[in-house]
Amino acid sequence: MSTETIQSNPGFFTRNKHYWLLVPGVVWMTLFLVVPLGMMVYVSFWTQTTFAISNDLTLKSWQTFFASETYFGALIRTIRIWLTVLFLTILIGYPAALFIGQMVRNKTTQTILLVACVIPFWTSFLIRVLAWRPMLGKEGAINILLQKLGLIDAPIEVLLFTELAVIIGMVQIYVVFMVGPIAFMLARIDQSLIEAARDLGASGWTIFRKIILPLSLPGVVVGAIFVSVMVLGEFATSSALSGRKVNLLGNIIVTQVGSLKWAFAAVIGVVLTAVMALVVTILLRIVDLRKEL
Amino acid sequence: MIELSALSKSFGDAVALRDVSLTIEDDEYLTLLGPSGSGKSTLLRLIAGLDKPDAGSILVNGQNTIGLPPHQRGLGIVQQNYALFPHMTVQQNVEFGLRWREENPVRDEKELARRVGAMLELVGLNGFENRGVGQISGGQKQRVSLARTLVTEPKVCLLDEPLGALDANLRERMTLELRRIRDTLGVTFMHVTGNEDEALAMGDRMIVLDQGHVVMIAPPDAIYNLPCSMRVAQVLNAYNILGGQSRDNGFEHGGKLLPLPEGASEAAHYAIRYDAAKIVPQDDPSALLQVTFLTSEFTGGGVTYFMRGPDGVFEVERHLSRADPEVYTSGQALAVTWDAKDALVYDAQGVLIGHSEMRGAA
Amino acid sequence: MNQPFLKITLGVYVGLFLAYLYGPFLVMGIISFQQGPEGGPQFPIIEWSTFWYQHVLGFAPPTRVAPLPIGEALTRSLTLAFATMVVSTVLGTMTAQAFRTNFKGSGFVFYLVVLGMMVPGVLLGLGMSLVANQLGIDRTWWGTAFVLHVVYTFPFAFLVMLAIFNRFDGRVEEASLALGVTPARTFRKITFPIIFPGVLSAMLFAFTLSYDEFPRTLFTGGPDVTMPIAIYGTFSVEIHPNLFAFGVLTTLFSFALLTVYGLLMTASVRRAQARNSGMQEDIE
Repeated sequence: MSTETIQSNPGFFTRNKHYWLLVPGVVWMTLFLVVPLGMMVYVSFWTQTTFAISNDLTLKSWQTFFASETYFGALIRTIRIWLTVLFLTILIGYPAALFIGQMVRNKTTQTILLVACVIPFWTSFLIRVLAWRPMLGKEGAINILLQKLGLIDAPIEVLLFTELAVIIGMVQIYVVFMVGPIAFMLARIDQSLIEAARDLGASGWTIFRKIILPLSLPGVVVGAIFVSVMVLGEFATSSALSGRKVNLLGNIIVTQVGSLKWAFAAVIGVVLTAVMALVVTILLRIVDLRKEL
Repeated sequence: MIELSALSKSFGDAVALRDVSLTIEDDEYLTLLGPSGSGKSTLLRLIAGLDKPDAGSILVNGQNTIGLPPHQRGLGIVQQNYALFPHMTVQQNVEFGLRWREENPVRDEKELARRVGAMLELVGLNGFENRGVGQISGGQKQRVSLARTLVTEPKVCLLDEPLGALDANLRERMTLELRRIRDTLGVTFMHVTGNEDEALAMGDRMIVLDQGHVVMIAPPDAIYNLPCSMRVAQVLNAYNILGGQSRDNGFEHGGKLLPLPEGASEAAHYAIRYDAAKIVPQDDPSALLQVTFLTSEFTGGGVTYFMRGPDGVFEVERHLSRADPEVYTSGQALAVTWDAKDALVYDAQGVLIGHSEMRGAA
Repeated sequence: MNQPFLKITLGVYVGLFLAYLYGPFLVMGIISFQQGPEGGPQFPIIEWSTFWYQHVLGFAPPTRVAPLPIGEALTRSLTLAFATMVVSTVLGTMTAQAFRTNFKGSGFVFYLVVLGMMVPGVLLGLGMSLVANQLGIDRTWWGTAFVLHVVYTFPFAFLVMLAIFNRFDGRVEEASLALGVTPARTFRKITFPIIFPGVLSAMLFAFTLSYDEFPRTLFTGGPDVTMPIAIYGTFSVEIHPNLFAFGVLTTLFSFALLTVYGLLMTASVRRAQARNSGMQEDIE
């Protein structure tokens, strides 16, 4: 009777069968995600003249970007608006998520409320952006309403075609991406934890600070990532609601591509990517997403 | 016949099985007793092919099964949680293996219905064919799981804690049922459990597994009467094990000298089974150890008395067929005694060294 | 945190919050009934009419307002969304299945996939255009745009399936294997039916994301436009209430679709429940 410890070799395919499942996804992402991004970085160093582009490497486009008031200003503006919108979506979204995730005990009501938040999404994004125009204008719905209620005498002009309009629009469109993940995390909090804390004499504020807030943090981070990705890449909302007054990095990329200034567009793209990468890295340090799943 | 040789398996730093060798014969009921952490579930999974051993071999009827995927091994496994297919009826569950297996699938509807019907009858579930899996009780689920495996006529059926989730009543009935079914079919059952009573009751042969190592293989009564090592005695949960050392012609424990059986020397542990000891008044001439009464537990057919001895709890079991239960008060000073012939001694390594008779050995 | 005062305050807050969410929607709905063809997309409502709905559906007499290119663009968007849904769900399921065992480099693969939803569309669109230029490939909605749609939706499908598999009890698969059933058939007969609701969610997710996708498609869609691009085209030109009429119609359509989906899900859940009320007992 053989007692050798033979480990028979079941063949390359069977042993690594497992890895074959990964190949299509990884290949797809490498080809169509990594390569385009890499290309963008590469092109940002190309030489761009008014009419042509050649792949001789130079830093000229980069210098133009950082030296120019307009373009560098756009970077600052983009970051400023991003931070404002992010802050506002958290500020506005968190209480709503708190209500839905914690206060509403009935599962059906919870679902209904969440669905209610999602329904606006079924209208095309661009139409929703445009729908803000008749809301915010001088003769827009808000002004009409406020005047009818007697709260103001003359229409507020600053509502449309300003940075404020862009912020209002963006917050409304993206706040749901903050409410969703937070409400999800909050709903997962075991009620018995809170009851136990209350039994031990903790005040409502302490419970919030020490239990609810920390446990909802992954949701805030996920929401922050979603909102940041979308806001940093924005150009449609700013274009529609500011009458071209507010130029974000996204807008500049679009216009540069429109005039075929590829190298310069690539520079802006790389700058945006760098900002995005920084943001995501920082956010992911706060919470390890893989564990949460 | 299945032969395991020098099987070892670790998960990271944790060693689950160490150098396990044993033979599983045809047409036998084999039980494996192992406390939690002993590696018993791991062993079953290795045999079934659901995990790969780090070293060692498994031969099924002479054929090496290393690298053989589980669906080609011809073995059956009944898992602890039954793992019934939730989206199918009882009928569909039981016929699943027959209908969809790679080798010799049965496609004739009449044949399938006949075999499934016969098996359900054997396990006592005829009429349950169209029930949904969520509509039956735990005991019924277990029998469906059993039927599903047995209908494919495996050479060996591995059972992982099959009676664990059942209430005591059901457990007793299923004990008899399992034996009956196995005897009828002539399949080998390898029944793994952490419950010592179950392991002793079911098997023709019994294996004791402790911390990944096989510590004893013998018929149940041999194991119970003559545990070959201190570890086995501990796992059986039926022995008082007293520490001390042998001196002159006795065993010193708690300041007393206990009588040694013949042929014992250099003993480090002294074991006396719960039902071999007797409680006597403190000043009884036959008293061997002074104890105080702690509490007692009524177990239906008997009473277990918990006494505090010199270095821990000393348990005494009395069966009520012999006498009415004695009543003691907490803290009452008493003594225990036993026949020297009933004592087992072990050396410092825990190996059995002395006993008076080979009682019940095969 | 159940003090009634807090609850009421938050409740009122959520009411206002929903008003904020729905405000533009309502406005859009109202204006869609603006008089046409002279009425513009702003208040006041000159006269209530369904003119713009007729315009969208192609029934109105020709005016100087160009009709929305619904027929072609809509079909293209639906086709693209459907294809994206299939491909990204398959990729997502395969990759999530691979993640059921720990393997070296799983962290790398995880973030590579998730990267797809963390890169703003603008950047990917730009990068892809550059690649297309360089390689001399034409930009098409079924080529360059399609691959980017999948890049975008694949991570979502992946995460959904990952969560589903995390809750999936693999022991039923082991039971099937031990009965002599091959792994492939085990997947078809056991695994897939059980994870199917998750697959359905992933598909819905992917379809929705692709259907409304805009920045990536803008750069890579080529001459044949999808619906969102068509709408974007009207941005710089004047906008008219027909856009809003269209918005209302598509919203209602999506609403209908989701109701159907909801009913299907409830029906399948109820059927499953009838067959196995009560989950398998956890015996550990």
